[in-house]
Amino acid sequence: MGGVQYSKIAEIKGPLVIVDDVENAAFDELVEVETNEGERRLGKVLEVGNGKAIVQVFEGTTGLSVSGTSARFVGKVMEMPVSKEVLGRVFDGLGRPKDGLPDPIADKFLDINGAPMNPEQREYPKDFIQTGVSVIDGMITLVRGQKLPIFSGSGMSHNILAAQIARQATVVGTEEEFAVVFAAIGVQYSEAEYFRRTLEESGALKRSVLFLNLADDPAIERIITPRVALTVAEYMAFELGMHVLVILTDMTNYAEALREISAAREEVPGRKGYPGYLYTDLSTIYERAGKLNGKTGSVTQVPILSMPSDDITHPIPDLTGYITEGQIVLGRDLFRQGVYPPVNILMSLSRLMKDGIGEGRTRQDHSEISNQNYDAYSRAQEVRALAGIVGKAGLADVDLKYMDVGDSFEKGFLTQALDENRNLDETLSLLWKVVSNLPRAELTKVKDKYVDQYYQGSDE
Amino acid sequence: MASDTLERTINKILDQTQERISSELDGALAESGKTLDGARAGLEAEYDKIISDGRKEADKIQKQIVGSSDLEARNRQLLLVEEAVDRAFGEALGRISDMDRDDSYAELVESLMREATDTLGSTEVVVYTSEKDRDVVGSVLNGFSGSQLADDTIECLGGVRIVSTDGTMTFDNTLDARISRLKPLIRKQIAAKFGVVN
Repeated sequence: MGGVQYSKIAEIKGPLVIVDDVENAAFDELVEVETNEGERRLGKVLEVGNGKAIVQVFEGTTGLSVSGTSARFVGKVMEMPVSKEVLGRVFDGLGRPKDGLPDPIADKFLDINGAPMNPEQREYPKDFIQTGVSVIDGMITLVRGQKLPIFSGSGMSHNILAAQIARQATVVGTEEEFAVVFAAIGVQYSEAEYFRRTLEESGALKRSVLFLNLADDPAIERIITPRVALTVAEYMAFELGMHVLVILTDMTNYAEALREISAAREEVPGRKGYPGYLYTDLSTIYERAGKLNGKTGSVTQVPILSMPSDDITHPIPDLTGYITEGQIVLGRDLFRQGVYPPVNILMSLSRLMKDGIGEGRTRQDHSEISNQNYDAYSRAQEVRALAGIVGKAGLADVDLKYMDVGDSFEKGFLTQALDENRNLDETLSLLWKVVSNLPRAELTKVKDKYVDQYYQGSDE
Repeated sequence: MASDTLERTINKILDQTQERISSELDGALAESGKTLDGARAGLEAEYDKIISDGRKEADKIQKQIVGSSDLEARNRQLLLVEEAVDRAFGEALGRISDMDRDDSYAELVESLMREATDTLGSTEVVVYTSEKDRDVVGSVLNGFSGSQLADDTIECLGGVRIVSTDGTMTFDNTLDARISRLKPLIRKQIAAKFGVVN
C-alpha cells in the first residue's frame, strides 16, 4: 500500500529529486512532492534500487530544498479521470481543469500510459476522415485510425492548420460520434488562447477536449501532456465508441523535455543529445493510434512537429517518420509566397490513403485524379526550373500549360481561406479544374470515362 | 426612263440595306441571346455559390450558437452538482467530527493504527492525533510496542498520523487524508444520487 511520505532527500538535480531510504516504491509510481510551505507538486518514479528512488518532478524543482522537501509515494501510477463530461473542457498539461470548472466526475480512472493494443486485434484503417482542407482530403487523405504527422518549421502556419483541422474534421456518411482531443505541448499563451477561442467560436469546443501546456509551464510536464490526452482519446474511442482525432502540437517540445530529463540523469546522449530511446519513447505515443476489431471507435493522430532549421533529417522528424504512416510536409517557399496551407505535396504522403478512398469510400475517380495532379505538379516544378534557365520563351506550348497547372494548383486548389470548409466534391472538382488546363491527351493517369465525365478543358 | 432607273436603284439599295440591317439585327439578336445564355449559366453558378456559401455560413453560425449554449448549460449543471457535492461533503464531515468517541470508534482507530504501522513496517513510531482523540488513541497504543503518543496535537477530524522515530517516514492515516484519497470516488457516488452520472 502506498501513501508513505519520505523526508530524507539526498539530492535535487535538474528536474529530478533523489529520495533516500525508500522501501517498496514502484517504477512509474506517482509521487507527491511537498515543499516547506505545503505546496504540492506531482512527479513519478524513474528509477528505484539500493534504497533510493529517482523522482521526476513534473512541475519542476524550482524552490525545492533538500532539507524542507518530502515525497509521498502514492502507491499507484498516474491516472486520468475520464468520462464523457470531459468533452468541452479545457485542462492543463497534467490533466487538471484550467477552465474554472470543477474536476470532471470520473466514470473511470485510467493509467495514462495506456494499455498496448494487441496487434492481432488491430483493424486496418480504411475509412475516410474529411478535414475540409482540400490538399489533405484530396491528395494526402487521412483515414480513421491513422497516424499522420505534419512536419513544419519554425514560424510556419502549422498551428493555424491544426486549429482548422480541429474545427472542421468530421466523418461523413455516418451517425457515429466524432470528437477532437487537442494537446498543445509547450505552446505560447497566444497560441493556446487562439486554439481555445477558435474552437469556442466555431462551436467545435463542444466536441473537443483541450490539454494546454504552455511554453512557460515546466518542461517536464510536457512528458505527460500527450499521454493524458491519449488516455482520454482511448476512453472515448474504445469505451464510448467515438471517432477521435488527436492533434498533438508541438512534438518537438516533447522531445526537448525528454532530452532535458535524459541530460539530468546523465544518460549517454544519442543524436543531437536526444536520448537513445527517443524512437521507443515516441512509439509509445504514436502507436496509441488505431482501430480495434469489434469496437466502433477509432483514435486518429495528427502529431505536429517543427523541424529545427527545416531539417527533415533531424532526429525528431526522422524517427517520427519511421513510426507514422506518412507525413504532411509544410514548405518554406510556399509559406513565403503567402500560400495557406503551404503543403509541399511532393514531399508529403499518406501511406494509408489508397485504402481509404475510391468507390464506396470517397469517389471512384479520387485516386486517379489525385495521381494526375501529383504528376502534373511535379512536371510543373521541373518546367519552372527549366524556365529559370532558358526563360519562358524557350519553353514548348505544353510546358507553358504545365506552368499554368503549377500556378492553378497553388492558387486555386492549395490556397484556402482559414474558415473555408470544402467538402470532398468541391475538392475533387478543384483537382479536375487544375488538370483541365492541360490538353486532354496529357491526362494519362485517369481512365477515359472519368475524363469524359469531369474534364473541363479543350482537346488541343 | 431615267427616273425609273433611279427608282429601281434606290429600291435595290434600300432592299440591300434592309437585308444587311436585318441580318445584322439577327446576328446581334443571336449574339445577345448567346451572351444572355452564357451570363445565365454564370449567374446561376454565382447564385448557387451564394446560396451554398450562405447555407454554410448559416450552418456555421447555428453550430456556434448551439455549441456554446449547450456548453454553457452543461457547465452550469457541473457547477450546481459540485455545489451540491460540496454541501453533502460538508454535512458528512460535520457528522464525522461530532461522532461519539465510543468503543466502535476505538476499534476504528486501532485498525487505522494497524494499517499505518504495517505500511511503515514498524511499530516504533511517534503517533500524532487530534486533541479530541488523544484519549482514544492513547488507549489503543498498548497494542503497538514501541509506539509513543506525541505531545503535540494536529488539526484533523480523527484518526492518526504516524512518524518513524528518526523522522524520515510519515504515514498519514487521519480521516481527512483518507477522505481526500477517496474523494474522487465519493464525488461520483454523490453525483450519481443527483442522476448526473451512472
